[in-house]
Amino acid sequence: MKSPVSVLGAAAALVLGAALAHASVSVGQPAPDFQVKDINGKSQSLSAYKGKFVVLEWVNPECPFVKKHYDSSNMQATQKAAEAKGAVWLSVSTGSGGDASELASWVKEKGAAPTATLLDTDGKLGKAYGARTTPHLYVINPEGKLVYAGAIDNKPTANKADIKGATNYVTAALTEAMAGKPVTKASSEPYGCSVKY
Amino acid sequence: MGAVVQTEQVRAELIAHAPEGARPGKPMWLGLELEHIPHWHTYWKNAGDSGLPTTLTWTLPAAVSAGDIDWPAPQRLPLPPLLNFGYEGTVVLPVPVTVNDAFDGETLHVELRADWLVCQVECIPQSGTFELDVPRDRPTLTHSADFERALAARPVDVVKSTAVAIVNDGALQFEVRGLPASIRGRDALVFPELAGVVENAAPVTQQWIGDNWQARWPLSAQRSESPIQLPIVLAFGDQAYRVVTRVSGWNAAAEAGNQEVTSSAVTVSDLAPATAQVGLVTALLFALIGGVILNLMPCVFPVLSLKVLALTQHAGNRRDRWSSALAYTAGVVLSFLALAGLLIAARAGGEQLGWGFQLQSPATIVALAALFTLIGLNLAGLFEVGSFVPSSIASLRARDPTLDSFLTGVLAAAVASPCTAPFMGAALGAALTWPIAQSLAVFAVLGLGVAAPYLLVSAVPAIGRWLPRPGRWMETFRMVLAFPMFATVVWLTWVLGQQVGIDGAAALLLALLALALGAWWWGRRPETGAARVWVSVGIAALTVGAFAWASPTWRVAASEARVAAGVGGIWQPWSPDRVSELRAAGRKVFVDFTAAWCVTCQYNKRTTLADTEVLEAFEANKVALLRADWTSRDGVIAAELERLGRSGVPVYVFYHGASAPRLLSELPSVKEVREAVTAN
Repeated sequence: MKSPVSVLGAAAALVLGAALAHASVSVGQPAPDFQVKDINGKSQSLSAYKGKFVVLEWVNPECPFVKKHYDSSNMQATQKAAEAKGAVWLSVSTGSGGDASELASWVKEKGAAPTATLLDTDGKLGKAYGARTTPHLYVINPEGKLVYAGAIDNKPTANKADIKGATNYVTAALTEAMAGKPVTKASSEPYGCSVKY
Repeated sequence: MGAVVQTEQVRAELIAHAPEGARPGKPMWLGLELEHIPHWHTYWKNAGDSGLPTTLTWTLPAAVSAGDIDWPAPQRLPLPPLLNFGYEGTVVLPVPVTVNDAFDGETLHVELRADWLVCQVECIPQSGTFELDVPRDRPTLTHSADFERALAARPVDVVKSTAVAIVNDGALQFEVRGLPASIRGRDALVFPELAGVVENAAPVTQQWIGDNWQARWPLSAQRSESPIQLPIVLAFGDQAYRVVTRVSGWNAAAEAGNQEVTSSAVTVSDLAPATAQVGLVTALLFALIGGVILNLMPCVFPVLSLKVLALTQHAGNRRDRWSSALAYTAGVVLSFLALAGLLIAARAGGEQLGWGFQLQSPATIVALAALFTLIGLNLAGLFEVGSFVPSSIASLRARDPTLDSFLTGVLAAAVASPCTAPFMGAALGAALTWPIAQSLAVFAVLGLGVAAPYLLVSAVPAIGRWLPRPGRWMETFRMVLAFPMFATVVWLTWVLGQQVGIDGAAALLLALLALALGAWWWGRRPETGAARVWVSVGIAALTVGAFAWASPTWRVAASEARVAAGVGGIWQPWSPDRVSELRAAGRKVFVDFTAAWCVTCQYNKRTTLADTEVLEAFEANKVALLRADWTSRDGVIAAELERLGRSGVPVYVFYHGASAPRLLSELPSVKEVREAVTAN
């Protein structure tokens, strides 16, 4: 016999779960468009970059896993390599905790070079893409299709030393997709701290 | 370094439980106790939407090995809209420890490096190094209450259950049968042991239909795994259970779904049967060939030698020879059918059995050893059968060599089963998935194959002229044949030793000694007189007593005996989880499904698998070597064999990346193994 509390709880879970489970995109599907302000106050959207490869990267300066890739300059190098090949790199910070100026100074301090840093304050962008961790990465091809979603690499640890021997899934996906080949590892389990919705 | 590491959020302590001291063959557990400050948590083996599980790296003496963490049932850690799985408050992560005979220290020095991710809102990766000394001669019971709690909090493995999950319309439909009656009707919290499959935070709709628990769990939108097995933990309040669900339907999902199947990351090919599905005609052909080859295997050979002897006795009479051959064939075929029938019936009843199952029982081994000892002693001339039975039956046997041949056929079938010839594995594996009629047909043809050479030879009319005339040489030949019989007894003793330990094996030898004494006396006892009665009674009592005294040692030992056998050095014990873990880490995996009573397995172990070229190839390619020992009954191994399309051992499986598991032949050559390992 189900108690009213558990029924209510189930209903709540259904609503919350639905928000993430049913709204987020799958690999191979068209990537959802968005309208989000960046740290300079400018409105950014996916459609503005149609015809180019776009990489979305979820960040959180406090997270040890983000620090792993930034303190080692791994993420910055990946960003520069992608942009050198003509891709657009959008860093995203989800949650009301993100302060525009703090984020901006962090980006500058780390020598990061994203095309833009987005402030997903209401969490809508995160939910549309199913972003769960920081870092969590997505690659969208010029036709607007999601071709990669998941971790930055195949070593789910917070240890900088593990970057050297790891396979960088984002670089691999970009290389393959840009060469017109199918992406071998189109989906991987992302690792990191939770995104703070 | 001590046994405790304290951080701002966590107090971690290395604890041990050794109720009989740290000694070989005695139970021992190590554990990491984590005490979290309020609202902070660490993670389960599958952390969920984010986070990382706690990892333990042990430094132990050479003769000691620690298993994987035996995770207590986790809690749900919601962080809407995300969901993680882990532990708040205090948790003990227990680890089983095996101490080998080689350990002779006074204390067992344990060193541990543990890494954990502790989070509240933010996450902090922490680690600690611990050391602890566990004495050998004193029990370590300081934390017995903690360990009791931790071990009780582990999900109970429901082995006698059937659990399946079918991919349907973007979700997994679970169906589990065989859960205990006490929890029927209750709702469960469900936890997947593998990440990257289901949408963790999505609501799981569940219901009970009779004794069937069903649930539906939406798949993750960005699913990265398509496993063929998904172990899940079902927590019904305080009591948690673990079932390994067999997953199917990924193929259909990939076609119907929006997911672009451009990558082998979607391991769709894993679902295809590892060997091409064998058709009926092919299976019959394989069974026939396999049966013929079985004659060359050491299992059948001792029995075959008996037949050769019988053949010489009938050299002159073609009719007798032919009817004897037919009787032998009938014996073999009908016995295979009976064995197959038993196997099918048992499996239908839910037993996890495979071909060769009769040899997983120590009782059968003892019975066969006793029988072969008697036959060997008879051949050697210690006693005569004529004097062993009342004269009326003896003359019956003399008059009816047909019955004798029939019984020899039965014996041949019973002992042939532990040997697996090439071709047989695939044929039998397929046969057991078919309807009864086709299944039995394959087994009958197998029997026919075994009997075929003898049948053909008997049919040749000229054989009478080729064989030497009966004469004195027969006596000598008969005695010589005793030795292969005794060799088989030695082998059976070794198998029993693997199953129940060295005490049981020695006890068997003593019991057989008593049996031999009894057989000798019965053959020589005087026709009349007091001595006849008293000595007979005494020796009979001795024989019965010996068996009775030995029988307690013939209980199947706990997993210690099995774990020690064949595992060690480069071979690790097999478990489905271990395979998934290693594959997830990107390693190549080679699994050897073996059993002590499987002669083909032992042969391969000592030849191909011990070959330097093969070992070098394994090392160069960093292949993880796992051994699954099926000497005694094991439902998990039986289920895995079935999933691979086989029903008996040996089975050699090679996993590489995301492609389908590759099965090697039953008698793989060095070339075959090396090719499989180095192929891409």
